[in-house]
Amino acid sequence: MTAEHQPRRDEDQAEFSEEQASLLKITLGPLIWAGHFVICYGLVAVTCAKDWDIATIRAGLLGFSGAALLAIAWVGWTSWRQWNPRETGDFVNRRGRSEDRHHFLGHAAFLLSIIAVIGVIFVSLPLVMLDSCR
Amino acid sequence: MNRDTALPHPSGPYPPTEAMLAEPVPEALRTAQAERLRNAWETPKGWRYVTAVNNTEVGKWYCMTALVFMLLAGVMALIIRLQLAVPENDLVSADRFNQLFTMHGSAMMFLFAVPMFEAISILLLPAMLGARDMPFPRLSAYGYWCFLIGGIFVIGSILFDVAPRAGWFMYPPLATRDEGPSSDIWLLGLSFIEVASIAAAVELIVGTLKCRPPGMRINIMPLYAWYVLVVGGMILFAFPPLIAGDFLFELERSFDWPFFDPTRGGDPMLWQHLFWIFGHPEVYIIFLPSIAIAAMIIPTVARRPIFGYSWIVLSAVGTGFLSFGLWVHHMFTTGLPSISLGFFSAASEAVVIPTGIQIFAFLATLMAGRVKKSLPMLWIAGALAIFTMGGLTGVMLALAPFDFQAHDTYFIVAHLHYTLFGGMVFPVIAGVYYFFPFIQKKLLSDRLGRWAFWLVFIGFNLTFLPMHLTGLWGMPRRVYTYPTGLGWDELNLISTLGAFVIAAGFLIFVWDLIRPKHRQPQIPRNPWDGGTLEWTHDVPEEAWGVRSIPHVTSRYPLWDQPKMLERIDAGRYYLPDAEEGRRETLVTSVIDAEPIQVQRVTGPAWITHLAAGFTGGAFIFPTFHWYPPAIICAVLAIYCIIWWLWTDTARPPGADTKDAGLGLRLPTYASGPASVGWWAVWITMLGDATAFASLIFGFFFYWTASPGFPPEGAAHAVPLLVALAAGLLAASWALTLAARHLNRRGGVIAARACLGFAPLAAAGGAAAMIFSVLPLDPASHVYPAILWALAIWTAVHAGVGVIMQLYCLAGSLFGKLTPRYDADIWNVSLYWHFHVLAALVACATMGLTPEVL
Repeated sequence: MTAEHQPRRDEDQAEFSEEQASLLKITLGPLIWAGHFVICYGLVAVTCAKDWDIATIRAGLLGFSGAALLAIAWVGWTSWRQWNPRETGDFVNRRGRSEDRHHFLGHAAFLLSIIAVIGVIFVSLPLVMLDSCR
Repeated sequence: MNRDTALPHPSGPYPPTEAMLAEPVPEALRTAQAERLRNAWETPKGWRYVTAVNNTEVGKWYCMTALVFMLLAGVMALIIRLQLAVPENDLVSADRFNQLFTMHGSAMMFLFAVPMFEAISILLLPAMLGARDMPFPRLSAYGYWCFLIGGIFVIGSILFDVAPRAGWFMYPPLATRDEGPSSDIWLLGLSFIEVASIAAAVELIVGTLKCRPPGMRINIMPLYAWYVLVVGGMILFAFPPLIAGDFLFELERSFDWPFFDPTRGGDPMLWQHLFWIFGHPEVYIIFLPSIAIAAMIIPTVARRPIFGYSWIVLSAVGTGFLSFGLWVHHMFTTGLPSISLGFFSAASEAVVIPTGIQIFAFLATLMAGRVKKSLPMLWIAGALAIFTMGGLTGVMLALAPFDFQAHDTYFIVAHLHYTLFGGMVFPVIAGVYYFFPFIQKKLLSDRLGRWAFWLVFIGFNLTFLPMHLTGLWGMPRRVYTYPTGLGWDELNLISTLGAFVIAAGFLIFVWDLIRPKHRQPQIPRNPWDGGTLEWTHDVPEEAWGVRSIPHVTSRYPLWDQPKMLERIDAGRYYLPDAEEGRRETLVTSVIDAEPIQVQRVTGPAWITHLAAGFTGGAFIFPTFHWYPPAIICAVLAIYCIIWWLWTDTARPPGADTKDAGLGLRLPTYASGPASVGWWAVWITMLGDATAFASLIFGFFFYWTASPGFPPEGAAHAVPLLVALAAGLLAASWALTLAARHLNRRGGVIAARACLGFAPLAAAGGAAAMIFSVLPLDPASHVYPAILWALAIWTAVHAGVGVIMQLYCLAGSLFGKLTPRYDADIWNVSLYWHFHVLAALVACATMGLTPEVL
């Protein structure tokens, strides 16, 4: 057993009551990536099949990619603050206290938003490099 | 959401203090408790053994069955290799060869790789979480019996020369036009098994979220549990598109509805999309749980905590997501626009990053630790080497221009076997060696294990390394023979020799598994000095899972909480007793694992066998177009399942609370989001919604793919009836919801009235749905066919909803469902939330799109 103080139930709930939300938050970055991916793929597929104007769609989707990156950056920023390694000095959060869980979920969300940023950049590259449906 | 419940809340001290834990348990009490617990969890003896539902028994059967199917599929591979050993060989006919490679692929994927994940998880997960059992033991047993029946049916077909023969992905038009039952065997047999897979996924997700030991917050649960969570979620989103595809495919095969027939507006590409939306995540569904085994073994052999726990969580979750953006890389040569190919090529390259991160985390752990050489580690090392090779060729193949060259050649065969052997077979065998002391309370032979490893490792490289070259020199896949003089002869001969070396290695491994081990002395309890909870198991074996459920405060409790083992054995922790002689386990909260309920779990039964048998009939008879017996079986299966739910689930408890140990009193009943059943319904319905979304995707796919959808002047669904269906189904939903609210407030009579009218509205809605498409001829064109498919889907779901409403009505009349104990109506209204949403989308698609498109 850890000897230090374990927060009591009510205390715990008051201090870190956003916990349900932060489990969802770790998937937020990847979900933005997924939404971005599906919209890019779907819109380009329809554009090419129906002969819409690909140049307009490309420009629009690149703008959309920028918006997706901003959204993920926001997720990353808030989760960085939740992880808060600079203040706690704890990068691994391997202990079983509620603060550890709180920081850990921030940490995981932060790392996942980095992956999501890389994913969005990768998926946007074909929009930059290819200019027609051919 | 559950605010106004009349049920009591948990009361008493939590978390336990050191003083409470240090207090000894009196010897007499301890013996009496152990005796009661032993009786409650006793495994049935003699011929009743097959009625067992305990996760350890079901898990073992599951593993052994999957192993047998794997060996059969391996024998098929050996015959394939013998046929290809020399040019112009005539060992088997072209048709037999087609059956062999189709079954080899299908069996390895559907009967071995995915079931093996479920099997191993059912076997190990409760122990890693210090739980007595899975939350729904009979569901696991039902899934297992479905798997066994379906597996024998599918793999047995090869003995009658009617095995599927259109490739493991069953591309139309080849598979739709194939004479005889072979394609139907694939479609219906494997759909049946997919149902079992989804059942297991539901079980495993709920188990991980709700059945962790007190204190095991989400940041300290074993990495295996994280992987199970991710993979369970992936199954829910990957398998349903295939089930939707199977549904369309079977309608085309049985009734000639032209979903994949381009002459009547259909499109074979839709099948390819649905198949690979399933098929690519499937690869990761196989890979992630196997690598999870590595994540359990590596800290033990390195004798230090895993390096970068959150990085591994990141890579599991990240890989889970990214793997859904890759499916078109199996379709690079189908002529899609190049920008589309670019998206999938880019995503295929991006997935390397999270996959790589976890491998680096493993290597870092090994470098930072003091590695103790052991057999499991040898297999893990082999896995990492082989998987890295497969990953590198994967990076090459993700580049579309390279894929254009290598597509459908033996280069692909080499690549996929490197990823699957390195990513699945080797880690799973490592897991067998590592966990065998836990599973059978015996040790496997070190010497035989080394022989097996080197034979399989050398044989594997001998077989598949040359195949890269065979493929680059142009040898196509799936040809039953080839002419001499193309430079392929020697390479093929080497591959065949290598295949038999692998086989020799597997023979040694299997012999080691099954040889009698009576004379082996009793093994130590924790032979590898592992740090996670499964190593608190009892030697010799006890069926109770864990003597008392510990309070966990660390990722490696056996390393960090030195007195834990002794206290578990003393029954110092939670649920040390079974006072009523019933099986129970602890339910905890999702994030912080605070104890919230004592959940009664079901025991041995025959009803699962009956339910699985009849479900099997409902899937298997249609293969031969014997519809009346299939319908009878379906009705009986539903009857069995209702019986099983009625008699043993969510019964009002004798007492509202009970003593869970350490002064904590916990409720014995929960409804709504607090209960495990509600979570199971939620997760199941997520899968169901994905299947429905795939049908809607199909509708819009036809619209994009062909200018003639809907065709000029085509008849549409009758708008008035579609609107009526939407209205009636929405009314039925509203009545169900009203019944829940009224019942909770004590208005039992009013609730019963609602539950009486709701099924009428639902049945009316279903009928209106069918009548709206009745004037259309589904065999004439894909447009009426897809409208029919949507109508049938919605009507069948409404039918299930009617059964559920009547179940609640009966529950209310016979005292199973009361204002205080109302779990059933919560679950049913959750079903209706999903159903009403799907019904409204279906009605909008059928009724409004003719105006818009």
